[in-house]
Amino acid sequence: MPQFGRGKPAAGAFFDSDFRTIDNVLAVGLLHGLQGKGDCTFAIVTMSRPNLAVAGYLDAVERYYRGPAGNFAQVPPIGLCTEGSPGETSPAYVEPFQRKKPDGTPVYQNEVKSVNQTGDPTLLIRNYLQAQYDQNCFFILSGPATNLAAALDFPGLKELLAAKAKYLVIAGGAFPSGPAEAHIKADIPAFKKLLAQWPTPIFFSGNEVGAALEFPGASLDRDTVPVDHPIADAYRANQTMPYNAQSWAMTAALYGARPKEGYFKLSGRGQVSVDGEGRTAFSPAEKGNHQYLILDPAQKEKIILAYVELAITKPVPRRFGKAAAADDQEQQPPPKTVPPPKK
Amino acid sequence: MMNPKAPVMSTPATIKGSTLGRRTFLRGIGTAAIGLPFLDAMAPALFASTAPEAPVRMAFFYLPNGMIMDAWNPSYDGKFGELPRTLKPLEAYKDDFIQLGNLTHNTGRALLDGAGDHGRCSGSYLTGVQVKKSVVEIKASVSFDQLVANQIGSKTRFASLELGMDDARQAGDCDSGYSCAYTNNLAWRGETQPLPPTLDPRVVFERLFGAGQPMTPQERARQAKNRRSILDFVTEDTHKLEGSLGPSDRRKLDEYLSSIRDVESRIQRTESDNRQIDPHMDKPYGIPMDFAEHFKMMSDMITIAFQADLTRIVTFMVTREGSLRAYRELGISDGHHPLTHHRNQAELIEKVRKINEYHTRQFAGFIEKMKSTKEGDRSLLDNSMIVYGAGLQDGNLHLHEDLPTLMFGRGGNYFKTGRRIVSRRETPMCNLFLTMMDRMGVHMEHFGDSNGHLTGLDLG
Repeated sequence: MPQFGRGKPAAGAFFDSDFRTIDNVLAVGLLHGLQGKGDCTFAIVTMSRPNLAVAGYLDAVERYYRGPAGNFAQVPPIGLCTEGSPGETSPAYVEPFQRKKPDGTPVYQNEVKSVNQTGDPTLLIRNYLQAQYDQNCFFILSGPATNLAAALDFPGLKELLAAKAKYLVIAGGAFPSGPAEAHIKADIPAFKKLLAQWPTPIFFSGNEVGAALEFPGASLDRDTVPVDHPIADAYRANQTMPYNAQSWAMTAALYGARPKEGYFKLSGRGQVSVDGEGRTAFSPAEKGNHQYLILDPAQKEKIILAYVELAITKPVPRRFGKAAAADDQEQQPPPKTVPPPKK
Repeated sequence: MMNPKAPVMSTPATIKGSTLGRRTFLRGIGTAAIGLPFLDAMAPALFASTAPEAPVRMAFFYLPNGMIMDAWNPSYDGKFGELPRTLKPLEAYKDDFIQLGNLTHNTGRALLDGAGDHGRCSGSYLTGVQVKKSVVEIKASVSFDQLVANQIGSKTRFASLELGMDDARQAGDCDSGYSCAYTNNLAWRGETQPLPPTLDPRVVFERLFGAGQPMTPQERARQAKNRRSILDFVTEDTHKLEGSLGPSDRRKLDEYLSSIRDVESRIQRTESDNRQIDPHMDKPYGIPMDFAEHFKMMSDMITIAFQADLTRIVTFMVTREGSLRAYRELGISDGHHPLTHHRNQAELIEKVRKINEYHTRQFAGFIEKMKSTKEGDRSLLDNSMIVYGAGLQDGNLHLHEDLPTLMFGRGGNYFKTGRRIVSRRETPMCNLFLTMMDRMGVHMEHFGDSNGHLTGLDLG
């Protein structure tokens, strides 16, 4: 939600994924970390497979970062697609709930016991878009295009997207060419619809980009990682440690929130198409609305550093009223005339 | 709202053949015109199978400043068991209502308009739109009750009734830059045309049983001087009608006229009391000082209006958003709205719980009356949809999701009551309105920010 009376907030982030791989969880953490740095305002998470266990975990993550309801805002529900197969449930989404505090109570509370404790993705997208300033939000897609394609069918939503959203970043495809990619294959008609009808520019972070950038599992041993952290706990439960994780969703999230940071090079403009097998192809076109990210080896270290510093952070308290003003005061740059140091 | 197409007293109090017309009025000299309840004579037993279905009515009872939700929502879904504290006064009627969970008014939220949740939530409650933040240039939309009234209002003497008990100011800033037109009205005839509620029971009474308009001061004074009841003016018609009715109908008519007389007596008593308190008081003289008495008068007249099919649509702003009313009858001298910003102080929360419970207790009296009023082989309540709800969930946090919503009645043997139904989070409140419209015979695909009808409420 906008910060009342304080001008335009950082761009809103909408994250849609199937959460089949751990990089999606890390991307959620990364977006919260970027919010803490003032690079975005995390709006909502929507999910494109009907898996309640995963939704419960994501709800716990949102509650961890956002804290309890208060000050005219409530933790937004997780948007959950109710059609299709729930798919596998990684231990990453279950084991964190088994952790207990010294008093025996769970470290994380699973509040999602039924589908009624989640929201319809399209409705959530509509409702939270209405709270965005014009051209002041972006979407990240890291999964089948099912939810976003459905949103295009909702009366008036395409126009609302055009007014509010700056761009969509898709973690998917292979560029300039490559094999069919799982996200796209999972719902090819939805992906085709998205390419044809999505009303903003689209940036693609192809499989080759995320595959070359690994989140270092060893970074969880840093002192700055809180003892109880749902992202860290999920990462540890996902696979036998130590391991590194390819970062497809994280590349899209990082570019979405910090497009001008120079983390990635960009292709020229063009048009992406997809064939019946789910293979993407890029055709240059001067007025094309699509571009893809190109890994710049010189930026690799910088990107990994951003992952390590931002994907698993302590929550930054929401700031309202006087507290926010006081914090802003503290964050002001020092005055230009600095008194000389005492000799 | 008076139905401009509805003929006033145009149907004579005569029995056509052996069947009494549904829109028969007892007419009298002067200004009296009293509609009748549904009588057996209007649908003779021989033709019972072809008797017309009783009409479905709908009413909204709006409560301001949210609720203390730990005393509102039970810990379960489905069939009612133990009711939470605020709903306890409704225990005897728990088979007659549905508690709806997770209904949301996104248009009540700030979106990009900053402070003013009270103004927004009441302005959007029945209109389903984000109202324009302004003290001067008000803009909302046609409320859904008025959409229904536009379609079916010609069937009754009044297309709709707008009632309230608190404040009918239409100008000024009532909440952070929102006009009082937003906090004080539920029904909107057009984007810039709210329908202000009538607060004075005397005015409502005279509209319902008079010529459709309040009496002039001279007429009222003349009637008061003679200490006459409005029923005295229709004595001749009443006797004529009674002579043609069977025992059951005579008893029904007698009970009905007694209920009118009862309301009228209480209004007269209030007027007398008010004059004694302050002969020069700058206030409509028919408004009781006592909240419960005021509520009872208004809600009794809703029952009578429904019973006589004078209208099928009522909106009742029990008190307005941001209401500062102090409930001294409960020993609470703080204003309602300031109390709801309790900052989690247990003592203040408890006071709000008491106010919530007090409101529910008054409402239970209305439900009792609706349930005990027979209409054919059902009750008046069975043939109605009475929504008791609030435009804010938690008055402290100003939340617009999971709005406190109860729906009483079966909408004409349609809704399966006696249970709590929780929808998915963020389900638009307007979905409920679409479903209610259907029951009222008005079919729309879309209203406000709806994304479909609210399903799962029916007997099927």
